[in-house]
Amino acid sequence: MSSESQTFTEKYDLLGCIQCGRCTGGCPVTVRADLNVRQFVNNAYDEDKLEELSRLAEIWDCTACHTCAVRCPKGLKPLEVLIGLRTIIVESGKVEPTVRDALQSVLLEGNPWEKSRAMRTDWMEGLDVKIAEPGEPVENLFFVCCTIAYDPRVQAVARNIVRLLNKAGVDFAFLPEEESCCGSEVFTIGEEGLFEMLVEDNTEYLNEFKAERIVTLSPHCFTTYKTHYPDLKNPVIHYTQLLDELLEEGKLVWKGELQKKIVFHDPCYLGKQGGIYDEPRRLLKNIPGVELLEFDRSRERSLCCEGGGGKMWVESTSTKERLADVRIRDAKELDADIVAAACPFCVLTLEDAMKNLGYEEEMRVAEIMELLGEFVEA
Amino acid sequence: MGNVLLLAEHRQGALRDITFEMMAIAPKVAEDMGGEVTALLIGSGMDDMAKKLSEYGVKVQVIDDPVFENFNAEKYQKVLSALIDEKKPAVLMTGQTAQGVDFMPALAVEKKLPLVAEAVGLEYVDGTLKATRQMYSGKVSASVAFKPAETYLVTIREGAVEAPEPAAAGSVEKIDSPFKEDITYRKFVEYIEAEVGDVDITQSEILIAVGRGLKEDKNMPLIEELAQGIKADVAGSRAATDAGWIPHDRQVGTSGKTVKPKLYLAMGISGAFQHVAGMKGAKTVVAINKDPEAPIFAVADYAIVDDMFKVVPALQEKLKELKG
Repeated sequence: MSSESQTFTEKYDLLGCIQCGRCTGGCPVTVRADLNVRQFVNNAYDEDKLEELSRLAEIWDCTACHTCAVRCPKGLKPLEVLIGLRTIIVESGKVEPTVRDALQSVLLEGNPWEKSRAMRTDWMEGLDVKIAEPGEPVENLFFVCCTIAYDPRVQAVARNIVRLLNKAGVDFAFLPEEESCCGSEVFTIGEEGLFEMLVEDNTEYLNEFKAERIVTLSPHCFTTYKTHYPDLKNPVIHYTQLLDELLEEGKLVWKGELQKKIVFHDPCYLGKQGGIYDEPRRLLKNIPGVELLEFDRSRERSLCCEGGGGKMWVESTSTKERLADVRIRDAKELDADIVAAACPFCVLTLEDAMKNLGYEEEMRVAEIMELLGEFVEA
Repeated sequence: MGNVLLLAEHRQGALRDITFEMMAIAPKVAEDMGGEVTALLIGSGMDDMAKKLSEYGVKVQVIDDPVFENFNAEKYQKVLSALIDEKKPAVLMTGQTAQGVDFMPALAVEKKLPLVAEAVGLEYVDGTLKATRQMYSGKVSASVAFKPAETYLVTIREGAVEAPEPAAAGSVEKIDSPFKEDITYRKFVEYIEAEVGDVDITQSEILIAVGRGLKEDKNMPLIEELAQGIKADVAGSRAATDAGWIPHDRQVGTSGKTVKPKLYLAMGISGAFQHVAGMKGAKTVVAINKDPEAPIFAVADYAIVDDMFKVVPALQEKLKELKG
């Protein structure tokens, strides 16, 4: 947490930067936007220049993928300088109406999609789901994520995990509709005050539950809880880790075969930020019939899909080809039948790109849980 | 005396639509209150506008002074404040516009007078002045009364009523400005015209939005022709703007614009959650899509499951028929 008296330079440790340029060199959005993160870190030393810098449109091109942070030899997070500049804009109220509405919706309804809180658990309809109660012991406490809860395209992720875990006899429960946004996008949009409030409220709320661990469905929630919630009592894992455990224990029984070539797209929040690379691959490789391919740019070098960093609410000024389109063309070159991801944002952006390129007939974009739901009999 | 003072709004030498729309409301209210309508024009060099206004059979009073060449809320407030004292109108009415909202609330506070903002109707019934306001996005109409006062202030929503045709000859009279000393703390700097051809889809009443189903740029004229026929603006999904068929500032969705037209025609749009979130304010949604499973149908009031290239010509045909 920042303290009021810190200067911008102190807060982001700007003097720690040696201006080597590895951040900009690796930044995936440089191929389509005029974003030079190294230059921003350099120019932000001058406090008088901050406001001017904050008005530059390219600060909204950053997808918060963290490639710059992974590559920084000094262990800094250059992207957070851009977030700090966004904070200046957010505080002045001069944000796009779509961003303003999303933030207001998080404050009022606990989700950025302007959906009613009362509808947060509608995805559970017809399913046998245990709802967690404070103080009642549960092994795996699930945090569903706003996008998976409300967007019909990705609700299958939650629905399939319920079916699968019920069959596997796993002790789990989902949070009731009081569950609120983790704040991942609030943080990257730069709404510092709202984010601090979410961290405080969510920490207090989640700590009321007696869970052995919290399982997140979206890597955005996963990384946000792990990175920004120091007082959370329970360990947080991503669902692919839980399923990988079940796989090892022999609790996943495959039905039928999937004679397909699958390439796994590492979501930035799961891989680069969460350090989870092998679990999703093991799960996919174990589906009978599957041939698992690899992108050239995979694991730590995975190409961002541009779904994060608040980009669901801010369009880039660039009209050059979207990175998701590049990713899908790469998959096409590999002759992949399915592009699998383990993140709702990646699924949405990649599927859009797949349709844009006209590959609907021959290619499929799927969340891992969609595939497992079809091929696992626990 | 129940006179109605109607402040006319004009910009760049032309009267705004709201001014004529208020002519559908003010004369009846004045008549029922036993008074007459005075239309007030504040500005500089407005002979043509004054003449046009007088054709509605009202008394037009003109304050013509170079200091009013450009709109300035503070100056307007000072003029209106003095005129309320002098003329004691029963009602002071203007539009719920960027101009009206800039001085009417301040005037209400200054004069301690009741104000009903954004009324869609005003009537005088059984000795009581009542305004109609819309609530809950137009789902509920509320009839509201004013706290008793000598003058009631009201702003009228734009486009709420249809402007009547000119009725009878009225009169034009120049009056002195009660505003004597110019102000310096708020100055007009520059008038910036919106870019030519720039459509603000957030304000459109009828929108045709195209998606990936348009397939290629050469199909755009078909849509534009239909848009012209039904006086619609054309917008698009992210796919349509990415493809360059639709300008980027006309993208509907969470990363584009949030729109609230009365009629939204979604053509060849599957209806991703992020698109639907941008159009949920639309009153009536008509969706055309080949895929019966397209999520857009979940939010559509009318669903047409067919090829848009078959449906659009059929619509055109019907439109011609209706227009005779």
